Amino acid sequence: MRSSRYAFILAGGVGSRLCLLSERRAKPAVPFGGKYRIIDFTLSNCVNSGIYDIGVLTQYRPTSLNRHVGTGRAWDLDRSRGGIQILQPALGSIQSDWYQGTADAIYQNLIHLRRRRVDQVLVLSGDHVYRMDYDVLYAYHLANRASVTVAVTEVPEHTVNQFGILETDPNGRVVGFQEKPRKSVSRLASMGVYLFDRDTLIRWLVEDAGIESSSHDFGKDLLPRLVARGESVFAYKFPDYWQDVGTLDSYYDANMAFAGEKPPLDPADPDGVVHTQSADRPPVAFQIGSHARNSLIANGCRIAGTVERSVLFPGVSVEAGAVVRDSIVMHDTVVSRGAVLDRAILDKEVQVGAGARLGVGDASVPNRVCPEHLSSGLLLVGKGAELPEGVSVGRNARIGAGVTRDRITSDIPPGGVVDGPDAMH
Amino acid sequence: MADLVALVLSGGGGERVSVLSSERAVSAIPFGGKYRIVDFALSNCRHSDVEYIGVLTQHAPTSLHDHIGAGRPWDLDRRDHGVMILQPYLTRGTSGWYRGTADAIAQNWDVVEDLKCERVLVLSGDHVYRMDYRALLEHHGATGAALTLGVTRVPPDQSRRFGMATVDESGRVTRLIEKPEHAAGSIASMGIYVFETDVLRRALTSGPVDLVADVITPLIDSGADAAAFEFEGYWEDVGTIGSYYRASLDLVAEHPRLALDDRSWPILTRDEERPPVRVSDDASIESSLISNGCRIAGTVSRSVLSPGVVIEPGARVEDSVIFQDVVIERDAHVRRAIVDKYVQLGAGARIGGDAGGPEWLEGLVLIGKDARVPPRARIEPGAVVGVGAVNEDFAGPVRAGVRLPNRTWYGDRG
Repeated sequence: MRSSRYAFILAGGVGSRLCLLSERRAKPAVPFGGKYRIIDFTLSNCVNSGIYDIGVLTQYRPTSLNRHVGTGRAWDLDRSRGGIQILQPALGSIQSDWYQGTADAIYQNLIHLRRRRVDQVLVLSGDHVYRMDYDVLYAYHLANRASVTVAVTEVPEHTVNQFGILETDPNGRVVGFQEKPRKSVSRLASMGVYLFDRDTLIRWLVEDAGIESSSHDFGKDLLPRLVARGESVFAYKFPDYWQDVGTLDSYYDANMAFAGEKPPLDPADPDGVVHTQSADRPPVAFQIGSHARNSLIANGCRIAGTVERSVLFPGVSVEAGAVVRDSIVMHDTVVSRGAVLDRAILDKEVQVGAGARLGVGDASVPNRVCPEHLSSGLLLVGKGAELPEGVSVGRNARIGAGVTRDRITSDIPPGGVVDGPDAMH
Repeated sequence: MADLVALVLSGGGGERVSVLSSERAVSAIPFGGKYRIVDFALSNCRHSDVEYIGVLTQHAPTSLHDHIGAGRPWDLDRRDHGVMILQPYLTRGTSGWYRGTADAIAQNWDVVEDLKCERVLVLSGDHVYRMDYRALLEHHGATGAALTLGVTRVPPDQSRRFGMATVDESGRVTRLIEKPEHAAGSIASMGIYVFETDVLRRALTSGPVDLVADVITPLIDSGADAAAFEFEGYWEDVGTIGSYYRASLDLVAEHPRLALDDRSWPILTRDEERPPVRVSDDASIESSLISNGCRIAGTVSRSVLSPGVVIEPGARVEDSVIFQDVVIERDAHVRRAIVDKYVQLGAGARIGGDAGGPEWLEGLVLIGKDARVPPRARIEPGAVVGVGAVNEDFAGPVRAGVRLPNRTWYGDRG
């Protein structure tokens, strides 16, 4: 029998670069790929690698994630021993507070390792899209007699400033670690997948908790310190697709790649099915006059209009004469007759009025309030927003969750903003 | 409803649906893309708060058992009630096989007695409909009848398919005639009955075989108080190829009579995890139901596709029902066919057309599970391809009226 394994999944991040999409839900709970949530990839990797004992660390807006994970049933994680547990910050223990950083989050949950008979602890992130057999990581770790193994992926040179970059010796041992360096000779980026020897993890977390200047983060504090002090840290180079979908542009591109002719991974691959909580929805109903091409369309959708190069989540209705092009449309959104969507991301339950035009005009005008995230010509509409008939919405515009019809009295220019009733910047 | 047990009759071999039930009970035949026929009865039970359900199976039940499992999709996996599969069993005194519907109930009568239910709701696993049984049960209670029959109006020319009921002014059934050539009225029995437990217990003591012929008709003829409850919604017995096909195609009509997407009455099923439908560059889809996991690069019109069907570029599927994980290769054309699970249709094959073959087949082509149809094969309308057919079965065109034999997966002729 396989020795028992335990994984922590870090799912507490604010995900501010995803703007409206993660305003009301944790980033791992953001819908992805037509029916999944981002965390489904990590959860499925765990169960497909035989790991059925998991703690999910949440902090920011966990409701949506909680509801999605439920009892863990979709991943066969509803078990009498092990299974899945949501670890939200709590009061009552000796040191207890909001999680200060990723390392602190695990530190505050070390209690969960106390009675678990595991030699290693897997620390994962719930923010990434990839398929990985963690068995291979364990084997690599043991073969190297490592005390920590970090999974790494090669990234383009100009993006090293977005990642933790590792330098290795020819044996794969990590000799340098820099968090988001401006420049680096190495292009090996940490995937946020760490395998620790149990005792090593506990020892270093306890030490880190006592260092006042630390921000208690794995990438910023813990790993550089481990490497600098000669701990046996190895890098495991992961050869396949791995994508951080933490920015609107990377999120959009990754979704489009899944809808393309050669998707980066097949969620139905029998060797590693991506599991998710599926609602009971009927098959997709294509009606008379529908045109659909190069798209992913989930159960429960009704298509009477045109859909091109788009990702449609369950229950989306595209009425006759409507066009959805290069867009991502989430659950139960209605695109009424004659409306046109171009490079738009619509959250759940949005109502697009008849003849409305989303994604018009100049793409070079960045968004007025979040120019750093919304400047490539995408357009964002928050959950439950209502767009009146015939309205025109410019590119890089942002319409907040819950905006009602009467709040929009004129066309919205490129880069424009309409805030919802409880907007947060 | 703790004072009620529902017995779902799902034992039928369904000779009238040919190869579709070679390896499964009629109730387990896929319907509406992702569902099985029995999902309708089970979902109705779930939404009507029926908590104790026995499913009586006999013919090729594996698929049905797999599907129902512990009853989880219908929230029927409860600690002390839920769904039970009632398969024939041996005792020292009986041979076990169900000789008919009444015999099946009689052999499982202990279950009814153990639950101490006042009423027994008898359902069929072969019907497609959305019905709130609570209204039927209330009607039964209010009339104080010994038994109540669910009835529905049918066109008079359809009487040969049904048990036709005569209902008097007080709403009592005074006569029931099975499948008459000509019927006086248009009221058909749906095969849905509520019995007072006492009444059914007494009727079963005489060793009846068939529930309608040996229990219900004699009860009515002897003047028992049999009420009629008229159901006005869509209801279809899909136990024949023709009715199955028409009910399937009705789902893709402009205004389907059966709503699958009513969020207040969802049809619950065991859902396999499949990705969204993938629609490629050359795809063209109209008036069709396409389930998750399908990959469409060809043309699909007026058809119903179960999960995981692959339609390659240039392939064309019209007026057809395609089950799970079928692959239709490049430039193959399929018209008016029902294609069972895992079938592979080779490139350039020509399947089906408008008319031909025996009357019961209505000019359709049926292709049994696991068949491998080689490239450029011809199958004329009104032909049946057996389960697991292989290359050598297709030396020449499969003509109307021909039925290729079933083959077992390990190679013998079955």
